[in-house]
Amino acid sequence: MALFDQLAFAVLIVYASASLCGFAGLVARVSLLRRAACFLAVGGFVLQTVAFMLGSHTALPDGLSLGAYLQLLAWFLLLCGMLAWGKFKLDVPLLFAAPLAFLLAAIACPFLHRQVVLPASLSGYFYALHIGALFLSLAFIALALGAGLLFLYVQHKIKAKERLVGFQKDFPALSMLDKINALCVAAGFPLYTVGIGAGFVWSASVWGRTLSGDPKEIISLFIWLGFAVLFHQRLLCGWQGRKPALFAVALFTLCVFSIVVVNIFLPTHHAFLPPNSPR
Amino acid sequence: MKRHLHLVGLNHRSAAVDVRERYALTRHCDPECWAIPRGEGVEESFILSTCNRVEVLVVGRGEKLVQHALESWATACGRQAAELSGYIYKHQDEDAVRHLFTVASSLDSLVLGEPQILGQLKEAYRQAAEGGKTGPILNRLLHKSFSVAKRVRTETAVASSAVSISYAAVELAKRIFGSMSGYTAMLVGAGEMAELAAMHLLQAGIQRIFVANRTYGRAVELARQFHGEAVAFESLFEHLVETDIVIASTGAPEAVIRAGDIRDVLKKRKHRPMFFIDIAVPRDVAPDVNSLDNVYLYDIDDLKEVVEENLASRRDEAAKARHIVSEEAGSFMHWLDQLRTQPTIVEFIQRGERIVEEELSRTLRRLGPVDGETLDALRAMASAMARKFNHDPIHFLKNGGMEGEAPLERIHLMQRMFRLGDELPLPPRRCGRKG
Repeated sequence: MALFDQLAFAVLIVYASASLCGFAGLVARVSLLRRAACFLAVGGFVLQTVAFMLGSHTALPDGLSLGAYLQLLAWFLLLCGMLAWGKFKLDVPLLFAAPLAFLLAAIACPFLHRQVVLPASLSGYFYALHIGALFLSLAFIALALGAGLLFLYVQHKIKAKERLVGFQKDFPALSMLDKINALCVAAGFPLYTVGIGAGFVWSASVWGRTLSGDPKEIISLFIWLGFAVLFHQRLLCGWQGRKPALFAVALFTLCVFSIVVVNIFLPTHHAFLPPNSPR
Repeated sequence: MKRHLHLVGLNHRSAAVDVRERYALTRHCDPECWAIPRGEGVEESFILSTCNRVEVLVVGRGEKLVQHALESWATACGRQAAELSGYIYKHQDEDAVRHLFTVASSLDSLVLGEPQILGQLKEAYRQAAEGGKTGPILNRLLHKSFSVAKRVRTETAVASSAVSISYAAVELAKRIFGSMSGYTAMLVGAGEMAELAAMHLLQAGIQRIFVANRTYGRAVELARQFHGEAVAFESLFEHLVETDIVIASTGAPEAVIRAGDIRDVLKKRKHRPMFFIDIAVPRDVAPDVNSLDNVYLYDIDDLKEVVEENLASRRDEAAKARHIVSEEAGSFMHWLDQLRTQPTIVEFIQRGERIVEEELSRTLRRLGPVDGETLDALRAMASAMARKFNHDPIHFLKNGGMEGEAPLERIHLMQRMFRLGDELPLPPRRCGRKG
């Protein structure tokens, strides 16, 4: 087994352990297990970073395979989970991010060697900025989704005067979940704007046109618009609670549609192409 | 005679409140009353007296131990022991230990899982220990009872949910706002339960309290009590813009806060969440307020339901807690049994040392003068032999040979086998080498 395969396998094992540990800690309400799960998730993140640094796959800036795409997504998700853990002393986002990261990394495994090599004209810093900013923003949207779903569930329970039982009692307070959502929107929207902007600049410099009518571009603009509304309403109109939570769910659904349906099934220059196919 | 641990007491189940009043050892009593006087075999004693119970623990030997404890207790209260006997329960050894652990873990409390009893137990222990009334057994037992109570609280949810209406309201507020610091509450009207809820909110760290009452003087009085700010009832909605938690308990015949009013308030406060706790009957807050986004409303019935559910959940958890208590009581009794074997073990070892000394001096007399090195070697050999001979019987005494064999039986067996426990002479030498 090559070093990179061994690393990918080790990352998978660590993420799986973090997921199991976190699940057991949440259900059994054992804080020690939850803490261990968080440290395991951080360990997996470090391993994955090492794998990236060693160049386990040429994710950036030369090209992007589906495997690299999913691995990067897992990495950014964990990064956001860790940020929430550090800032709010709240482990729930990281505990939810770990199984998602495991799932993404596991799906990515068969595609790791299928690398798409882009022409030299399509590589460079704008491409890296485009991908990096958009991925981090996507991870923030995912975190906002998690916080939003939890918010809607807990809020429903409180409004309906139903009890939170077992591990549900450890869910964060509504204000905390709303704060996470606010932070994700505040950080995610500027990043998304930078990501899309970098993409347009890059497109203009390479192809001589900013917009090409590509389905991915159109849906990305819709997502940006939704994000802008949420950002504006939160910051200026003081939206709190249920509405931003629902908005986060809608935004994430659009993002998933954009990744799964547009990238894979529609004709777009963002598609994950078979290995070594000319673009 | 064997040393025993006895517990006598009365509580809210065995005696009505007037009886409990008569036999309570209150702070007004003479501090000397807080201990059973030594005599009639009392070696150690401890008394816990709260509004719901009196528990008297005594350790010692003698048949009149319990009677002595009862008489001392009754005398301290200016009553007769015979009258007291009708209301008490008695426990001995493992049952006494189990009962104490049950009390410490709040499984025997009027409100299951309430936290005060552990503090009261610790305070009573501090007094007893300072007065020199407790000894090695009660010291260990009471410390163990604290750790059992902690284990019960950690491993079960017997004390995890609120069982009073005012506290349930505060717990719900925490579920919405998290930490209470930085938030503002308002008391609309005044009532005992509302005041209690306000007190809990203050304890939870609420930053500011407004008090609005139709009688402004009463509002000022209450505001002073909570270090809050009295506001005119007419300016209620103006102040609601700054308020996160509202505790309503006016005597108004109809709702004083309606959804329409709150909609305007919400706009002004940029939709920051609000929690209404309506303790009044008839209700002060119209039910449709709960349908507004970011507004949560609990009335008295909702809170009662929360409390009922929490109590039911505590009762379920109590079964788990009792299992822990039984396990820990068993473990304490094991330690006590070991303690009971200690004097026999010491005596047995001393017997071995005595034999070694006697045999050594006899041998040395026969050998005549020997150098120091030989003497040390002989002494070391004799001691090693005694230790090896002692090992198995001591192991048997500590851990038992047959399953279910009581330590007392083992102690008697050892005493009979090795003539321990009295001043019997050592067995005569059957044969001796003639020098």
